[in-house]
Amino acid sequence: MDTDNDQEGETQGVKICGPPLEVNTAADTLATSLSLLGNHMFPDVVARKAAREDERAQDVPEEPPQDTEGSLSLQATEPESQEHQDDVADGTQSDSGEFVVTVLAKAKLEEQGLGVKGHSSPLLEVGIQESPPAAHGGSHRDEDVTAESWRRHRKHIFVLSEAGKPIYSRYGSEEALSSTMGVMMALVSFVQSGDNNIRSVYSEEHTVVFLQKGPLVLVCVSSSRQSEQQLRSELLYVYYQIISMLTQASISRIFEHKKNYDLRRLLAGSEKILDGLLDLMDSDPSFLLTAVHCLPLASSLRDSLSQILQKAITPNLVFSILIAKNQLLTVVQERAVIEDARLEPADIHLLLNLIGASSAFQAGEIWTPICLPLFNPDCYFYTYISYLDPPECTVCLLLLSTDKEAFYAVAECKRRIEEAMAAQGSLGLIAKAQTYSVSQVGVADLRHFMYKPFDVPDNHRQLTQFTSPEMEAPYHTEEEKMRLLDLYRYMHGRIHSNSRPLKLIYHVAERETLLAWVTSKFELYTCFSPLVTKACAITVITKLLRWIKKEEERLFIRYPPKYSTTPNPAKSSRGAKAEQTDSSDNGFLSLL
Amino acid sequence: MLMISPRMSSGMQEKQFTACLLNFFVYNPTFGPREGEEEKKILFYHPSDVEKNEKIRNVGLCEAIVQFTRTFCPTKPAKSLHTQKNRQFFFEPEENFWMVMVVRNPMIEKPNKDGKPPTIEYQEEEILDTVYGAVVKQCYSMYKLFNGTFSRAMDAGGVELLTQKLEKFFYRYLQTLHLQSCDLLDVFGGISFFPLDKMTYLKIQSFVNRVEENLSLIKYTAFLYNDQLIWSGLEQDDMRILYKYLTTSLFPRHSEPELAGRDSPLRPEVAGNLLHYGRFLTGPPNLKDPEAKFRFPKIFVSAEDGHEELHLIVYKAMSAAACFMVNASVDMTREFCEQLDGLVGPQLTLLASDICEQFTVNRRISGPEKEPQFKFIYFNHMNLAEKSTIHMRKTASVCLTSVHPDLMKILGDINCDFARVDEDEEIIVKAMTDYWVVGKKSDQRELYVILNQKNANLIEVNEEVKRLCATQFNNIFFLD
Repeated sequence: MDTDNDQEGETQGVKICGPPLEVNTAADTLATSLSLLGNHMFPDVVARKAAREDERAQDVPEEPPQDTEGSLSLQATEPESQEHQDDVADGTQSDSGEFVVTVLAKAKLEEQGLGVKGHSSPLLEVGIQESPPAAHGGSHRDEDVTAESWRRHRKHIFVLSEAGKPIYSRYGSEEALSSTMGVMMALVSFVQSGDNNIRSVYSEEHTVVFLQKGPLVLVCVSSSRQSEQQLRSELLYVYYQIISMLTQASISRIFEHKKNYDLRRLLAGSEKILDGLLDLMDSDPSFLLTAVHCLPLASSLRDSLSQILQKAITPNLVFSILIAKNQLLTVVQERAVIEDARLEPADIHLLLNLIGASSAFQAGEIWTPICLPLFNPDCYFYTYISYLDPPECTVCLLLLSTDKEAFYAVAECKRRIEEAMAAQGSLGLIAKAQTYSVSQVGVADLRHFMYKPFDVPDNHRQLTQFTSPEMEAPYHTEEEKMRLLDLYRYMHGRIHSNSRPLKLIYHVAERETLLAWVTSKFELYTCFSPLVTKACAITVITKLLRWIKKEEERLFIRYPPKYSTTPNPAKSSRGAKAEQTDSSDNGFLSLL
Repeated sequence: MLMISPRMSSGMQEKQFTACLLNFFVYNPTFGPREGEEEKKILFYHPSDVEKNEKIRNVGLCEAIVQFTRTFCPTKPAKSLHTQKNRQFFFEPEENFWMVMVVRNPMIEKPNKDGKPPTIEYQEEEILDTVYGAVVKQCYSMYKLFNGTFSRAMDAGGVELLTQKLEKFFYRYLQTLHLQSCDLLDVFGGISFFPLDKMTYLKIQSFVNRVEENLSLIKYTAFLYNDQLIWSGLEQDDMRILYKYLTTSLFPRHSEPELAGRDSPLRPEVAGNLLHYGRFLTGPPNLKDPEAKFRFPKIFVSAEDGHEELHLIVYKAMSAAACFMVNASVDMTREFCEQLDGLVGPQLTLLASDICEQFTVNRRISGPEKEPQFKFIYFNHMNLAEKSTIHMRKTASVCLTSVHPDLMKILGDINCDFARVDEDEEIIVKAMTDYWVVGKKSDQRELYVILNQKNANLIEVNEEVKRLCATQFNNIFFLD
């Protein structure tokens, strides 16, 4: 019995904070699901011994972020993997004794009866012990779905399979909601049977938005008054987050083979990641703007960090990303890869959420497959994740490689980065870096803004970024923050309406005056005090644009550095930094 | 030699189709609760030739949608369903009675090469929910004006009578719905008032009093000039729907005879033996006709104890129209009509020419008609007063507007935005076509302005709207 549980646990990755899935039926269903998935490995995930004292470990143990089915097959190397795992385990234990490594293909081995001996991963043991529902005290999953409080949630999200099987619900357990989700699926297929597609339902208080993506149906029930377009894009983020853990190809394959497959088997434990994503989307305008927020940093410091990343490379390394306080510090990209496709802000958002949603990553070094859905929804990158400043864990390094065997090489890169940063005292400097106050702009009447410059021809393919100051009084309470964000969302929805886009919106209300403005060079949302005159607002914007121009080196990653890790020395010269032409100022005065 | 490829000649152009009515039905889910009895739920279905199972399916979907949304708010169920091809609007005017209107999205038909069937692209975001939601409500109000409530018919003759009444009313009424020209004015459902000086207004009031005194059967009176209301004794909501009926249906059908005399009003003495221009728009077309029937349409208006049924007598002289309402329990006779004609005809003719004179004076004062820099719509929720310089004269078939439909939709969007918060607001937007559109909400009033100056800047736009408010609205809009 124990072994069965172990097997299931390991194969599916994590079952820790998911609902108590038919644990006992493990053997049977597992066999089926495995046979479905065929010749693909299940990377066993993460695991760690440390951080048990972490509070979250008490009620919701950190689960590994994902539970994945590799898209690369691995027959030839399986036995080596086994050894590999042991090596790693031994080696690391002797080093620090507090981290674990994800071992790819372990599940595959188990499937063949090769794997699983005495030492299963500590995390999974924790998980199994804590998996009974009692462990989820206080979680939204326990909510009574017939209660008024459940109905009053601002935004419900449901994910279900085409067979109507629940996969995820933001509030309340999937079991309790299975009939509701059944109705949703029935509505979708009913409309479909009339050679039509359901899009949304409006009532006085709610907007219900449906999104069908492959074999998955995503439904949002929102009282937030966001536009349908915005709600649909949030559903798309949810879908992509699932893809980032499983890949699109494997999801289609699973459902092709078995229509009523219970995807929670593969996603168990990842509810927290989706929960985190939804909370983040409600509070972080990055998702709305599809742009990345960088931490303001002196350009010399940012350059030196970039250079450190640029030097610490190994073959097949594709992206080196450094983040602090959940904001981007710098990202260095493999030249050849970036010529094919560009790193989309959405992929970065999903990565950041994945890391932020689980304290498991704070435990040491993680090596795990992650799919960047906008980059390529069907394949994994092997991602090395490590915090550089334990125990605070604010500065995190991500190294993405295409080589699943590159753990050691990549870990070595991290060591070099760490050394170089120590030599330059970078961590101390990063710790001092902060978001800024709108008062630094130095104009009265301006309360807050969001500024998103568009790609300029010289550096197209650059990551879309935006800058925005802290929300300060009167937007310092959660409620007021949300109200301002809602106002921005409303302006954004109107100005980017699919059918009737606008160039400018000037909105005067009792509590504030807002302006949204889209030009070919930038997109700007500003919030003024309510009594500002139009003439004054225009002056403020003029000053604001000048200030941003002056500060742009600090606010944005101006010239994303590149490296070449493919053996092609001809291309390895430093990133050509085309001289930027100043353009943010051009002609805007006449437009307003 | 000129060769025309068959493809070219067969028209490779895209074809545009506007929004149109697909279905309209009324059902009551409690009428056929058991399986196999679903058809009994359906009280009216347009078009009637739809196959039975299809009707049942469509009604079933509406029921399911409504039920589904009750999971999240039991008291406020779905109002609309958006699909790729159409939109459905749900309205429950009386308990368990649902009216549903299905509108097909506008679409573009793109021809394909090689004989493949054309690709159809639905424009899913062109229809405004507020506009068509209001149209469905209007349908019910209009039914109720002429038939009373659904439950009244149920009480009087059960499902059979109700289905008859629905059939009879909606068969004709739905043909007059011109969905492609519905806009913000349908949301307001306002009344255009005729601006008058005090003297003329008092004249009209004393006319109404005199008539009501002499003909004591008359319970309510309303007075209109052209398509504008001057005086009404009815409740606001009743007047609003009666006004809609008069201006979009009854008057346009009877407008021709007046056209000749409108601008040169002839006094009765000038007109020789003709005493007046008065005539009945409802009831007998010619009193002298010995065969004349004295039947008037019946309407239902609100009363303290529910509803009261009235005869609707509409009497018109030149551009002035008076509506007299008499309790339906009284039979209308030739004597009464002759008495009314004799009393009202000459006076109304006189009043009509008085008003007309003032109308021309007003026009002269306001100076020669110059293409204004702006067009606007104004609506006051308190008295339902509405004013539009965007819409041309209404006709029976269409309500012509003088601006691009997209701009009208932007007005609709701004109207939705105002509904989000219950406070005074101002919204200025610049459309992709560079037109500026300004919306102002102050207290219960809303003003929407479309400016013609494309190169104006925000400050100039603001100045222009300020001027408009000062001249037209006595500065009732305060914000900035």
